[in-house]
Amino acid sequence: MTEVLRRPKTRARRGEGRAAWGFLAPDGIGLVLFVVVPALLALAVGLFDVDGFGNIKFAGLQNFRLMAGDSVLWKSFGVTALYTVLFVPVAFGVSLGLALLVRDHFPGIGAVRAALFLPNVISLVVIGLLWQFLLTDKTGIVSRILGPLGLGDVSWLGDPALALITLVLISVWFLAGYQMLIFLAGLQDVPRELYDAATVDGAGAWRKFRHVTWPALRPTSFFVLVTSTVNAVTGLQAFDLVFVTTKGGPANATSTIVFYAYQQAFQFGRFGYAAAICAIVVAALIVITGILFALTRGGRFDED
Amino acid sequence: MSGARPWSRRAVFRAAAGAGALATSALAGCAPSRDPGEITFWNFYGPNGTPKSQADWFVKLADDWNASHQVKVRLRYIPPQEYQTGPTLQTAFSAGAGPDVFLISPGDFLRYYNGGALVDLTPHLSEQARADFLPGVLGTRTVENRVYGLPMEIEPLALLYSEQAFEKARLSEADVPKTWEQLLDVGRKLTTPDQFGMLLETAPGYYQNFTWYPFLWMGGGSVLSADQRSSALDAAAPRAAMKLWQDAVTTGAAPRRVRGKGANDSISNLAQGYAAMQQIGIWAVAEIAQQQPDFRYGVAPLPVPPGGKPATALGGWAMVANAKGRNPQAAAEFVAWALASLDDAGVERCRQWNTVAKTNLPARASVRDAAAAHGAFASGVMRTFADVIAPTGTPEPRYPPELYRAVSDALQSCQLDGANPAEVTAAASDQINTFLSRYEGAAIQ
Amino acid sequence: MRTETPRGRIGPKAVFAYLIAFLTVLPLLWLLLSAFRPGSDVLSSSLPTKFTLGNLGYVLTQIPFARYLMNSAFVAVTVTVIALFLHSMAAYALARLRFRGRGFAFATVVGTLLISLPVILVPLFLVVRLLGLVDSYAGLIVPGIFNAFGIFLLRQFYLSVPRELEEAARLDGCGYFGIYWRIILPLSRPMLASLAVLFFLANWNSFLWPLAVTQDESLRVVQVGVSGLQGQYASQYQYVLAGAVLAAIPTVVVFLIGQRRLIDSLKTTGLK
Repeated sequence: MTEVLRRPKTRARRGEGRAAWGFLAPDGIGLVLFVVVPALLALAVGLFDVDGFGNIKFAGLQNFRLMAGDSVLWKSFGVTALYTVLFVPVAFGVSLGLALLVRDHFPGIGAVRAALFLPNVISLVVIGLLWQFLLTDKTGIVSRILGPLGLGDVSWLGDPALALITLVLISVWFLAGYQMLIFLAGLQDVPRELYDAATVDGAGAWRKFRHVTWPALRPTSFFVLVTSTVNAVTGLQAFDLVFVTTKGGPANATSTIVFYAYQQAFQFGRFGYAAAICAIVVAALIVITGILFALTRGGRFDED
Repeated sequence: MSGARPWSRRAVFRAAAGAGALATSALAGCAPSRDPGEITFWNFYGPNGTPKSQADWFVKLADDWNASHQVKVRLRYIPPQEYQTGPTLQTAFSAGAGPDVFLISPGDFLRYYNGGALVDLTPHLSEQARADFLPGVLGTRTVENRVYGLPMEIEPLALLYSEQAFEKARLSEADVPKTWEQLLDVGRKLTTPDQFGMLLETAPGYYQNFTWYPFLWMGGGSVLSADQRSSALDAAAPRAAMKLWQDAVTTGAAPRRVRGKGANDSISNLAQGYAAMQQIGIWAVAEIAQQQPDFRYGVAPLPVPPGGKPATALGGWAMVANAKGRNPQAAAEFVAWALASLDDAGVERCRQWNTVAKTNLPARASVRDAAAAHGAFASGVMRTFADVIAPTGTPEPRYPPELYRAVSDALQSCQLDGANPAEVTAAASDQINTFLSRYEGAAIQ
Repeated sequence: MRTETPRGRIGPKAVFAYLIAFLTVLPLLWLLLSAFRPGSDVLSSSLPTKFTLGNLGYVLTQIPFARYLMNSAFVAVTVTVIALFLHSMAAYALARLRFRGRGFAFATVVGTLLISLPVILVPLFLVVRLLGLVDSYAGLIVPGIFNAFGIFLLRQFYLSVPRELEEAARLDGCGYFGIYWRIILPLSRPMLASLAVLFFLANWNSFLWPLAVTQDESLRVVQVGVSGLQGQYASQYQYVLAGAVLAAIPTVVVFLIGQRRLIDSLKTTGLK
C-alpha cells in the first residue's frame, strides 16, 4: 500500500497536505479551543494558589509539597488503586466470559446481548439512585433477599470494609456489557480456519482459547484494559457513582482521587491544590497506559 | 459532553475541575459587560422548587421587589443537592460570573468572606433593623462589627420520635430518652428486623458535623479553645460525644446509611418507619404536616450526658450579596429590603417565610412577635421548639473547610469504622492546630 | 468452542446466558415497576400489587419534564450529527492523506483522550463565556461536539478501506473532497450509524456540563431534571423513579434499534 502512496510529484503532495489540513481544521480548531487550551490552563493552575473568587498567588511547587502531609489524599490514592485493581481484572474477566457466552448463535441471542448491555445505556445519575434504593440497610430489597442467609443486617454501602467492593460490583454490572461488545467485535475477526485446524489437531476448548482466541484478542484486550483503567482512575464510576451514592464515605472508604480533588476544588475552593493532584493523576495514567502497552505488546493501533 | 462512554470527557476526572480558575480570573477583566439593570438571585427554593409554598414565597419576593424598583431581580432555581454540593455556584464564581444574590450556610461563610466575595450590608441596615435581629443570630455573619449576610431563619435541632413505634414497643411518653444512656437503651428496644431504633446522620458533610456539635457542647466540650488559637478536641467531652455516635451504630440501634435526602429528611426516615427516633431540625414539622399529616410524633430536647447541660445547634441559611457581581449595591439593597425591612410588609414577608411557607423560628424580634400574635408557637411541637429547645441553642459555627474536614474525618472513622475516639480526636486536634498556625482570614468564632 | 451447540438449539450454554441476562436486567425491571407503584407502596420490597400511571402523569404535568426531554433530544441529536460529520472528515485526513505533521496531529488527538471534562470544567466554562455561549443551546451543544473518541474509531475504520477505490475516483477526476464525499462517507455509513448510537447515549446522559453552563429553566436537560427531582422529592420516590424511567426510555430505544450495527461496526475498527 505504501508503494501506491509514494507518488513523486511534490505539487500533488503539497495539495494533499493542504486538503488534509482543510479536513482537519474544523475538528482540530474545536479540539484545541475546547480541550487543549482549557487543559493547559488547568494544569498551569497547579502552580498557583487559586481560591475561586479571582484571587491568585504564584505558589511554585507548594501545592505539590502540601500533598506529603495530607493523609486523606494518600488514603484516596489508595482507594483509587484498590478500586482499579479490583475493577479492571473483574470487569475484564466478566466481559470476556460474557462475550464467549453470547458469541455463537442460539435463539434469542439478540435479546440476551441487549439485556447484558442495557445497564450501560442508563445514566449514572439514575444508576446511583437505583442502587441506593436496592441496597438500603435492613429494609432494602437486597437485604430482604439475603436475610435468610444471615446477611440481612449487612450495610453494603455503609460499612467501610464493603462500600468500595459494592461500588466495584455496581461498576462491573454497569460496564461489563459495553466491554462485552468490544470483545464480541474482536472475536468475530478470529479466522474460523484456525479453530478448524485446532480441532483437527485434537485441541480441547481450553487449548483453543489459549492458542487461537487469546492471541487474536490481544489488541482488543489492550483497548479494553486501557479504557477500563482510565475509567477506574478518572471515569464515570470513579466520580459519578461516588458523588451520587456515598459522597466519599463511610469514613473516606470510597473517597476516590477524583472525588477528593473535586471536593478540594468545588467545596473547599482550593483550585490550585486540586489541579496539582490532577496533574499527578494524569502523569500516572500516562505511565500506566505505557505499561499496559508494553504488556500487551501494543495494540497495533498505528498499523498503516 | 460528546463521545462514547469509556472515554467521554465527562468520564475522565471530574477532579481538577476547578483548575482553570487561573484563566478565569486572568481573563475575567475582559468578560463581556453585563446588564447592571438586572441582578440574579440563585437559590434552591423557587421558581419550580418544592414545596410549592416555599417556591411561591420566593417568586412573590422577586415580584414585589420588581414592582417597585428600577433594578430587576431574576430568580434562578438550582435543585438543593446541586446547590449544596454541586459545582454550579463555584464554577460560576471562578469564572467571574457568580450570582448577585445567593444563599449561604455558615460552613461556607468564611470561604466567601475571605475570598472578598461578600458585600458589606451594614450601610443598608438601620440601627433599629440591626437591633431587631435576635441576640447572637447575626454573629456568624458579622466580621468586625460589619454585617455580611442576613439570616432567613433559625432552625434548632431536636429529637423526634414516632408515637406508633413507641406504642408497638410498649413504651410510653415517660420513656422518651433524656440521657445518652437512655437514648441507647430505648434505641435498642425500638430496633426490630424492620426498623432502626434511632437515626443520626451518617453521610459525611457539613450537615453531619452540625448535628454532632450539640452532643459535643452538652458535655462542656468545644472544637476550639476560647481564644480560638488552638484545638480543644483532644479532651474528654469530644471523646464521649464521638463514643456515643459509635455506640449507636455498633449496638445496631442506628443505621449506617440513612434513607432519602439524608438525615434531614423526616419523611423517608421517621415518618415512613425506617427509624423510630430521629435527630432532626424544626423544618421537619412542616415537612410532616404537608406530606404525611397523619403521622403521629413527639418532640423532645436532645438527650444529655451525665452532668451535662441541654444544648442544641441552631441552623439556618443567610442571604448575601456578591461583591464581584454586576451591581453589588443593588444586590445589597435587595438583601436588606428582603429580610430587614421594618415596615409592616417587611415583617409580614418574614413571618410568611418563617411560619407559613416553612416552619422554623424567626430571626427577628418583630417577626417573632407577629408570628406569636398569629398563634404560631401557641401549642404542640412548635411550642416545645420555641420555649424549651431553642433557648438552649448555639448558632452553627462558621468553621472553614479545613476545620470542618478534620472534625468530619474523625467523626466518620469513629462512628462507622470503629476507630478509637481518643486517637481520632488527638489526630484531628493536630490537624486543626497546624491549620490555625497558618490561617490568615477573619475570626473563626 | 465454536460449534459445540448446533445453531439454533437451546443448549445449557443458552440457558445459562438467559439466566445471566435476566439477573442483569432485574434491577432495571424493579426500577420500571416501581415507577408505576403508588407512593404509599413504593418503598416496600414485596412484589407490587397495585399499579398507577399517576407518577408519570405527575412528572409530565406538574414539572416541565416534557420540556427537559425535548431539550435533551435536541442537544443530543444536534451534537451527534455535527460531530459525526466533522469527525469523519478529520479521520479521513488522518487515515488516508499524507502530510507533514500527521503523526503529531494524530498523537495530539489521541492525547486528548486522557483529558476529561472535570479537569477542564472551569477553563472550558470561561472559553464558552468569552464566546458568549453561556446559557444558550449553543453553549450546550458546541463543546460537546469535539471529542477524540469518534475521530480515533473512524480513523481505524478508514485505514482498512481499499486504496483502489480512491484511485478509481481520482481517475474519474475527483478531488480530495469528492473522494471523501462520494467514496469514504457512503462507505462509512454502518460505522457512523453505530457511532451515532454511542454519541447519542453519551450526550443524552451528560449531566455535569449542562449543570454548569445553563441557568435558564427553559434550557434544562433531562439528567439535570432527574437529579433535581432527587433533590426535591427524595421523600416521594415514586416521582423520582418515574422521572428516571422517562429519562432512560429514549436511550433504551435508541440502543435497541442500533445494537446490531454496534457490534458489526466495532469489529472493523482495528480493535479486534
